[in-house]
Amino acid sequence: MSNAAQSQQHTLTIHTRHEAVAIERLLQVTRYRGFTLAGLELKPLADLSGLLITLSVVSDKPVSLLVNQLNKLYDVLDLELHQAEAGALRA
Amino acid sequence: MTGAELVVKLLTEHGVHSVFGYPGGAIMPIYDALYQSPVKHYLCRHEQGGGFSAIGYARASGQTGVCLATSGPGATNLITALADALLDSIPVVAITGQVSQAVAGTDAFQEVDVLGMSLTCTKHSFYVSDVADLADTLREAFSLAQSGRPGPVLVDIPKDVQLAQVDYQPLHLTATSPATELSQFAEQIAAARALLQQAQKPMAYIGGGVHMADALPELNAFLTATGMPSVTTLKAMGSVEKSNPLYLGMLGMHGTQAANLAVQQTDLLLCLGARFDDRVTGNLKKFASEAKVIHIDIDPAEINKLRFADVAMLGDLKALLPAMTAAGNYADWQAHCGALKQQHGWRYDHPGERIYAPLLLKQLSERMPDNSVVSCDVGQHQMWVAQHMRFNSPRNHLSSGGLGTMGFGLPAAIGAKISRPQDTSVLVTGDGSFMMNVQELATIKRFRLPVKIIVIDNQRLGMVKQWQQLFFAGRYSETDLSDNPDFVSLAAAFAIPGHSISHKDEVESALDAMFSWPGPYLLHVRIDETDNVWPLVPPGAANQDMMTDLPQWEE
Ligand SMILES: Cc1ncc(C[n+]2csc(CCOP(=O)(O)OP(=O)(O)O)c2C)c(N)n1
Ligand SMILES: [Mg+2]
Repeated sequence: MSNAAQSQQHTLTIHTRHEAVAIERLLQVTRYRGFTLAGLELKPLADLSGLLITLSVVSDKPVSLLVNQLNKLYDVLDLELHQAEAGALRA
Repeated sequence: MTGAELVVKLLTEHGVHSVFGYPGGAIMPIYDALYQSPVKHYLCRHEQGGGFSAIGYARASGQTGVCLATSGPGATNLITALADALLDSIPVVAITGQVSQAVAGTDAFQEVDVLGMSLTCTKHSFYVSDVADLADTLREAFSLAQSGRPGPVLVDIPKDVQLAQVDYQPLHLTATSPATELSQFAEQIAAARALLQQAQKPMAYIGGGVHMADALPELNAFLTATGMPSVTTLKAMGSVEKSNPLYLGMLGMHGTQAANLAVQQTDLLLCLGARFDDRVTGNLKKFASEAKVIHIDIDPAEINKLRFADVAMLGDLKALLPAMTAAGNYADWQAHCGALKQQHGWRYDHPGERIYAPLLLKQLSERMPDNSVVSCDVGQHQMWVAQHMRFNSPRNHLSSGGLGTMGFGLPAAIGAKISRPQDTSVLVTGDGSFMMNVQELATIKRFRLPVKIIVIDNQRLGMVKQWQQLFFAGRYSETDLSDNPDFVSLAAAFAIPGHSISHKDEVESALDAMFSWPGPYLLHVRIDETDNVWPLVPPGAANQDMMTDLPQWEE
């Protein structure tokens, strides 16, 4: 895609199944699709029905490329993209 | 019953009558349950062969292919086939035995982290830790393999789960996936129809997703009604009816000149179940650069991945294509495409007495029984098959597209024969590729499978050699196979008769002899190592800049 080759930071909130392999899949897709990890937090939901993950990534690619791939993961139950943090531009 | 018996029960519940695999310690309970069961197990002679046979079975029939392997080396041997199925979107369920949970995570004998290994080469994978979850997991695996964009799903089952006791609960009505609701696409359909009306030079770019959506009748009706010229990807060969005069063949790196030239000139590219793969687009920035794009696919991640779509629809082609049908007036463009096709037709008047593989494959295409399934391997012979054979369905042309895996052909031809016993299964392989899963001749022998094998022998890793000739200054590093085994004797060791030919005038009678023989047969075809695949779009070039026979640049 021909978007400006400017790195931007994006934050995603993701609800996954309560399994370690869910995180492996998230990270594998993030790395393989060319997004740099800028932050990762996770906690189990109170009723242990899943994990709540906050994933921050940096890339010069449109974040939709990552969101579309993550949404396809079986373990991902819900995914929300937060507004790109303006000013968080990196080389 | 035991978990292992439940696995077999679930296979029959899903209409699986044939599975491919190889036994070993951690999957012995399942093999015990298969013993004298209604599910027929085909012992392949390498798990990769089992995986590719499952793929061939699936591709030739549209059903889900099933393969089995033990833990550790059994599972690692399956990985290449899973990756192949992932890249070509083939529904496969792989069941692997795993070490018992009591020793899991201790580097136990034949323990590898199969779930971890599967992450990058499956659509999804499961580890079953409780026998109570086994049935639901297997049902989910079959459903996932087939639904949306199909793909391979792996289920790793520890031995203790296979041995545990469980009750079988019959399946209650499964929820079918919701039909594509046309009203929800009203806006996009209107936009697409407007683009189709404005277009002067539209082109349908057809991928494997169309036949996988079971939408070939709708596709052909659409093409006829609109009068739109079309091209296909490697995976979609056979999608367009042979009688369609505006079908220009395969596009891309080894596509036809007519297809590549016309696609570069189009003002509206209608991408149906395809994904702008680099073998198709050549230099992406220069690919159909004047065209607007309508992209219809079932996989949301393919939309705008490589090429921006002016109109995108995520849905079922079977429902969407009829809704987009509007007769166009493209007379000039049709005439132009027809002229390109005329001007750049294939030539078969190759000089000399040697066998010219493109001509042989054209003769094969004309002489093989109707509805034969042709599997091929990877290399020059694979591209010649795509260029010079005509198919009446993508299910009759099994070619490893996305992964381009040598060794695919022989086991795929076995799987095809087992899924469609009434049809002829033909393998076109290369002298390099054939040796990569040659052990599967033993599978043919054991089950007396009448697979017709044609080895195109150029005594080279021909495709790599061609690139060395063109782009590496003729430095032929490790591509000489002139010490090949005697392929006819090799086949004879597996009780497969064969014959070797090297002259043009031997071809037709040799093909007839092969097809009239009731059992498996190997036809060894010697060709000149200097024959290359043309045209070729060199790396980094735009698709109109094809190299042709004498390395010269075409306008
Ligand atoms: C498993 C695997 N290893 C390596 C390659 C790279 N490769 C692509 S084509 C080719 C040569 C194939 O030789 P052969 O089967 O004789 O076919 P030919 O090109 O000579 O027709 C090789 C080595 C591959 N595609 N797959
Ligand atoms: Mg060869």
